[in-house]
Amino acid sequence: MAKILIVDDSRTSRKILRGILEQNGHEIIGEAVDGQDGVLKFRELQPEVTTLDITMPIMDGLEALQVIKKDSPDANIVMVTAAGQQNKMIDAIKYGASEFVTKPFETEEILRIINKFNK
Amino acid sequence: MVNHLFGNYLVNAGIITAEQLEQAFELQKKVRVKLGLIAVAEKLMTTEQSEEVNRLQSVMDKRFGDIAVSKGYLTDEQVGRLLGLQGNPYLSFANAITESGYMTLEQFEAAFADYQKSLEFTATDMEAIKSGDSDRIIPLFLPEIDNMQLEHVLMAFRTFIRLIDSDAYIGKGSIAASAKTNGVALQSLDGDKKATLCFAGEGDALLTIANPFAKEEFETVDLDALDAVAEFINCINGMYATRVAPSLNVDMLPPSYKDGVDSIASDAMLMLPIYVKGKEVLLLSKFDGEITL
Ligand SMILES: [Mg+2]
Repeated sequence: MAKILIVDDSRTSRKILRGILEQNGHEIIGEAVDGQDGVLKFRELQPEVTTLDITMPIMDGLEALQVIKKDSPDANIVMVTAAGQQNKMIDAIKYGASEFVTKPFETEEILRIINKFNK
Repeated sequence: MVNHLFGNYLVNAGIITAEQLEQAFELQKKVRVKLGLIAVAEKLMTTEQSEEVNRLQSVMDKRFGDIAVSKGYLTDEQVGRLLGLQGNPYLSFANAITESGYMTLEQFEAAFADYQKSLEFTATDMEAIKSGDSDRIIPLFLPEIDNMQLEHVLMAFRTFIRLIDSDAYIGKGSIAASAKTNGVALQSLDGDKKATLCFAGEGDALLTIANPFAKEEFETVDLDALDAVAEFINCINGMYATRVAPSLNVDMLPPSYKDGVDSIASDAMLMLPIYVKGKEVLLLSKFDGEITL
């Protein structure tokens, strides 16, 4: 079981992701609605895993990733992208993202990835 | 899609009723296409020969194909090819309509020829419709548009079929300056290509997207429902951005949505009606320009 922070501007995506994770024994300790909110909640909650959507207003997922990683180099960050967005993924790896999941969410893919942090 | 497009023609022409059409759709989901029907539709056997084999089949414990081969009506090779057509959407609809007793295959085919005349389509166009392949059908119902925009619309519809409703079908596309709606969700792409994809619809039509996508039962087109529509658009655009990625660098801007909006305007946007669960939603696409609320 992991303590997870979900950062996504879409209420729909937060709800679907929360549903999948909670049904499989994970604990959602917080939700944030954009990158800036995500950085603040990360500092406050110190989650074991953070899921970070890329396309968000105010501060996008890539910027938030850099801020979080600068503060906490060991943070486990799972980037969430709509389909491929390959160029963004390459940047995200450079900035220290651990994993990726794609939208629309697939339960098995998400669990396989989150469970990697679950040892 | 061919069952809905041609089925609606049959209803509008007064050949079958809307209730009969619904029942044919139900049957189509349940039954396999009879090989005899395919053989006749493919002009390899006559109706009489097919009926004869059907009669023999009811007294012999043998498959249609084996009897037809032993009678010399078909070769093994032909049986193999016909079996390969069992998944064909046109034949599957023909099978449902004829099995229901609403029309004979001859009447069905004659009506399909009339349908072709009403559309002023070529034989090649009709083959595309018969295939059920939305990538081949949709361009027939669209005005002339740029290839990249067409690719975007085709991807949007394929995603609609995959994530929202596999029974959805299209109407006739047009270039429009405005559209009536109740609420709206859209997302723009920026970078090498500027494009906006938007979904609109009157009444509670947008719930036909929001509910299956979010797996919820929204009752009004409120901000939560529109967020789901926006996130669906985000998925379409993500795939599109990936598709064009090798040659073009496009960025996805955060989607936006607004409730209570009753019209959308643009100087010239592509408008494609999509029919789903008896409602009409509008796919609006604008390349190299903006859609405003
Ligand atoms: Mg987002």
